[in-house]
Amino acid sequence: MAKLLVLLLSVTVLAFTYPASAQTQPPGGGVLLNLVSWSYGVEIVRDNINKFEQRYPGVTVKYSDFSWATYHDAMVARFVSRTPTDVLYASDHWLQEWAAAGWIIPVDEPFPQARQYLADFSPFVREALTYKGRIYGTPYYADTFIFVYNTDHLQKAGFKDPPATLEEWTKQAEAIKAKGIAEFPIALGWGQQDPFSIESFTALVFGQKDGSLFDKNLNPVFKNPSSAAERVVAWATDALQTKKILGPTSLQAMNIDMIKALQAGAATYGVIPSYSLAVLNDPGQTKEAGKFKIALMPGESHATVGFIRFYAISSQVPKRGKEAMTAAWNFLDFFGGKTDGVYQVTKRWSLEKGLGFAPTALFGDKDIRGAFGKWADVDMLQKQADLARAKEGMTSYYGTWDVFSRAELHKAYLGQQKPAETLATMAKKWEELKAKAKN
Amino acid sequence: MWRSYSYPYVTVLPVLVVVALFTIYPLVYSVHLSLYENVLTRPLDNDFVGLQNFREVVTGFYFWRSLWSTALFAVMAVLAVTLYGLGTGLLLNQPVFASALLKVVVLLPWAIPAVISGIIWRWIFDGDYGVLNGLLLASTAIDRYVPWMSNTVTARICLVVAHVWKQGPLAAVFLLAALQVIPGELYDAARIDGAGRWNSFRFVTLPYLRATLALVLIYETIVAIATFDLVYVMTGGGPADATAIIGWYAYTEIFRFLNLGHGAALAIIIALLLGGLMLLYMRALRWEEVY
Repeated sequence: MAKLLVLLLSVTVLAFTYPASAQTQPPGGGVLLNLVSWSYGVEIVRDNINKFEQRYPGVTVKYSDFSWATYHDAMVARFVSRTPTDVLYASDHWLQEWAAAGWIIPVDEPFPQARQYLADFSPFVREALTYKGRIYGTPYYADTFIFVYNTDHLQKAGFKDPPATLEEWTKQAEAIKAKGIAEFPIALGWGQQDPFSIESFTALVFGQKDGSLFDKNLNPVFKNPSSAAERVVAWATDALQTKKILGPTSLQAMNIDMIKALQAGAATYGVIPSYSLAVLNDPGQTKEAGKFKIALMPGESHATVGFIRFYAISSQVPKRGKEAMTAAWNFLDFFGGKTDGVYQVTKRWSLEKGLGFAPTALFGDKDIRGAFGKWADVDMLQKQADLARAKEGMTSYYGTWDVFSRAELHKAYLGQQKPAETLATMAKKWEELKAKAKN
Repeated sequence: MWRSYSYPYVTVLPVLVVVALFTIYPLVYSVHLSLYENVLTRPLDNDFVGLQNFREVVTGFYFWRSLWSTALFAVMAVLAVTLYGLGTGLLLNQPVFASALLKVVVLLPWAIPAVISGIIWRWIFDGDYGVLNGLLLASTAIDRYVPWMSNTVTARICLVVAHVWKQGPLAAVFLLAALQVIPGELYDAARIDGAGRWNSFRFVTLPYLRATLALVLIYETIVAIATFDLVYVMTGGGPADATAIIGWYAYTEIFRFLNLGHGAALAIIIALLLGGLMLLYMRALRWEEVY
């Protein structure tokens, strides 16, 4: 009996202690880095990891990935349960939230060289990487939301130029629908579960005259009568409910679903992250390839959202000591910074997947211009990027407000409540969250 | 002496440890969480707040809306699952061709993980490339693709259909098992007394199924109210929160709004709600007479 008890105890102790040590140190010694990302270009990530491990012998990277739509929630579960996580993908959506929760750490104090990179980046990238004056990582990619259209559809409908304003957009879409070219000419990725949806909406707001959601003091100006946001919500509601030019599946669509609708020729216009244009114009993926062009965001200002996804270091790493910290920074530096004087990994993503980049000088890079030129008008891309602004209202409660707002916006689009009511509810929620954060 | 005295305790210990670890500890910890301020983005504010989390949840923006959505979903789902189970059970109880194979086939959806079945149904109902639209269009029942999950009413129905597909087989198996133990003599006697099919069903079958029906109703109500995975995979609570039932709301509070205190309070409210409903069922079905 005593033997049985000892055996039971031993198994229990082993079960609780084995994973902790196994997940911080590789079998051959050295440093183990647990990398967590969302699932995109996984083969490229693995290949980059191999190159990193060759450059830094003694550092082993253990890689896990989750789908983009569930990434935030999966990471919250990992952080709260303290599942070993050392370096990770993060988004400007969640920087303030994760930093305030103490899940990721600023990198500029232990590694001041992180600041040196900032001068190379667009202003919106610098802003989006910063929280309370501190830098939280190096860019994975930096991109903008762009307006794209199918040139073939426009030509058939008798339009030479893409729409420059929301009103022109409506008129063109109505004509395309009337001629039977596309039943729902506009496709937007506004599914309630897609984190991109608020960025796509914000891009349309930024494109309008006085297009802002918040002022400098974080007051919600979107609730003001006839605000840019109200004009956009009213336009979308009209497009969906009355004119029936906005595809109803937009309310369940993820970005990828919208891309499929455009690829199939079922829709004419979309608002997409610019790298998705590479997919739209890829002849290996669609017969419509080559027909898609970028135009400036419809509206008076033509501004758009610039966003970044970046590499961050989790707060678990400092507890593991200096060696682990150095390995983690080397990872961030290799993946998001310069290696041998060149942004090698950043450039690779741009060349192979068309991902946008943080270092503005890459717009002049011969290789990139050549690669991007196959699927986009590079000068127009740059012009739109120059008009890009970081998202406003970036606070620790932005993520909560974002999730809340996605459903409220749906209610307006579906005609359940007026645009002004929706925006008033969103503003009330914002004020409530802001007040709680101050207490 | 020590051996014989300790033997029962030692053999029960592993189970006790597992139950304590995975049931009692989370329950106690949830109660603890619900009584403290616990917002993950404010890690230093962990004051004891008593019942404040419960008050905030109940008076909050979502609670009554999600409760209404849950009630709608639960009523539709429980009724549909029970009727499906009863119909399928009655069908499989007949000496039909290949009935053994049919029983296996009918049970298959239950064996598929909910997340997988959610993905299957999301594809079936997809407004752009869904199989349902393809079939209906081919049969000229519709003249254009219908965005089933972009409409608040049809999105709810889609969720119920997926739920019935997943849960119906279990109800069918329960009811089939009950049907198979009803003595055949009772039907013979009923027939001699002049009872037709309907009266045989009403006065012989139904009374014998009462206990199993009670079980099915209770179990399916619990499952429907606690449904989360199908919502997570199929709709994400949308459109316009139409499918944001209370289980989804609890998930959102914890994983999206990062408010563990609210999430725990909500979980306790759901548990109490279910407990209350079970008592009502037992009373309504006169449980003590059933067994």
